[in-house]
Amino acid sequence: MLSQIQRLAQETEGRYATDEELRFLADYARSYELRVQTYQKLQTCEMMIIQQVQAKMRAIDPMLFRQGNEDLTNKWKRDTLRVLRYSAAAMLIDDPESLRERFLFWFQTIMRAFNAQKSCGVTYTVMQDVIKQVLTPSEANLILPILEVNRRMLGTV
Amino acid sequence: MAFTLSHQTSAKLKNPKKHNHYGFRDFYQFDPDKGTIVDWNNSQNVLTSEDFIIGLVEGLEEEVGDASAATMYTIGCEWGQKDAFFFENWFEKEYDRPMRQTNLMFLLETWWWSFTAQGWGRWEVDLGDRKQGFMFINVFDSAVARTLGDVGKPVCFLYAGLFAGFFTELVKKQLSCIEIQCYSMGETYCKFLLGGQERIDAASFWLNEGATARDIEKRLRAGELK
Repeated sequence: MLSQIQRLAQETEGRYATDEELRFLADYARSYELRVQTYQKLQTCEMMIIQQVQAKMRAIDPMLFRQGNEDLTNKWKRDTLRVLRYSAAAMLIDDPESLRERFLFWFQTIMRAFNAQKSCGVTYTVMQDVIKQVLTPSEANLILPILEVNRRMLGTV
Repeated sequence: MAFTLSHQTSAKLKNPKKHNHYGFRDFYQFDPDKGTIVDWNNSQNVLTSEDFIIGLVEGLEEEVGDASAATMYTIGCEWGQKDAFFFENWFEKEYDRPMRQTNLMFLLETWWWSFTAQGWGRWEVDLGDRKQGFMFINVFDSAVARTLGDVGKPVCFLYAGLFAGFFTELVKKQLSCIEIQCYSMGETYCKFLLGGQERIDAASFWLNEGATARDIEKRLRAGELK
């Protein structure tokens, strides 16, 4: 959204925008209530989502939280919370482009530095399943594409 | 008159320990009144065009001829050595931990992110041969090579020097670096070999004899030195 507004301002320099160019604003206005509602629900359910993702991942493979002798659970929790919060904010303002630019490109290299791609891949796949249980389908449709971007960027080698 | 530059955007003042600060609007603070561009780590930046890079490389070649490669390398070395201290300072402030007690890959990615944000290109470090005393670094979108285009020879001496200088300070052991594959040779990315002088000399010799980066990798992994 913010990226789109910025682009609109640049592209319409010295002229009026066309209806087509303004369409995203109307789309955003229409989805605004639902975005705020989804954002607030994610905020309320944050810990429950994280706990459910963690439990499901442990059932899939407990080694996802270990690296050698080191227990990575707390680190995983911190990282996953951070990604979820940034994702919720990106959904609220409908700006996945800024999420990539300001967070994901950096976080991708950091996750690779720690060889955490496998864990990230499972985390954001499982999180999509958990979110589908927690949110209504129309709420989930707003956040799922962002979680899929997270999975693709953080979870692939 | 000396003055200290300080990045003081509201984003940094509110959240000085934020780590993902490499987006354009977070990383730079533009001050039109003072005419400064200060990055997140309080370093002054200067914007340059591709013409500047061409002018620098070709001007130096005109002045010192074949010695321009060694000159650029030396400039890079000094920059890298200084930057190692500069980096240590801001890393320890930002992460509250000594640089040498940090996961190495994380440390290296953190170092290079400032360069990525400044337009020096993305990189990929291959530490697989570290125990044998050498390593490879790939640079995608080298600012120098991208600017000069396909000129049929390696051109990123500044980068080679930068890596040599930085890693020498990091491991406290004299290291050298050579570019063994360059975008300016028609390749898709640049590849650097970092190691002791003996290995770099051997790689330089093989390169002059027409060896490819892949040949050099194979020979080094087979333990060859001449």
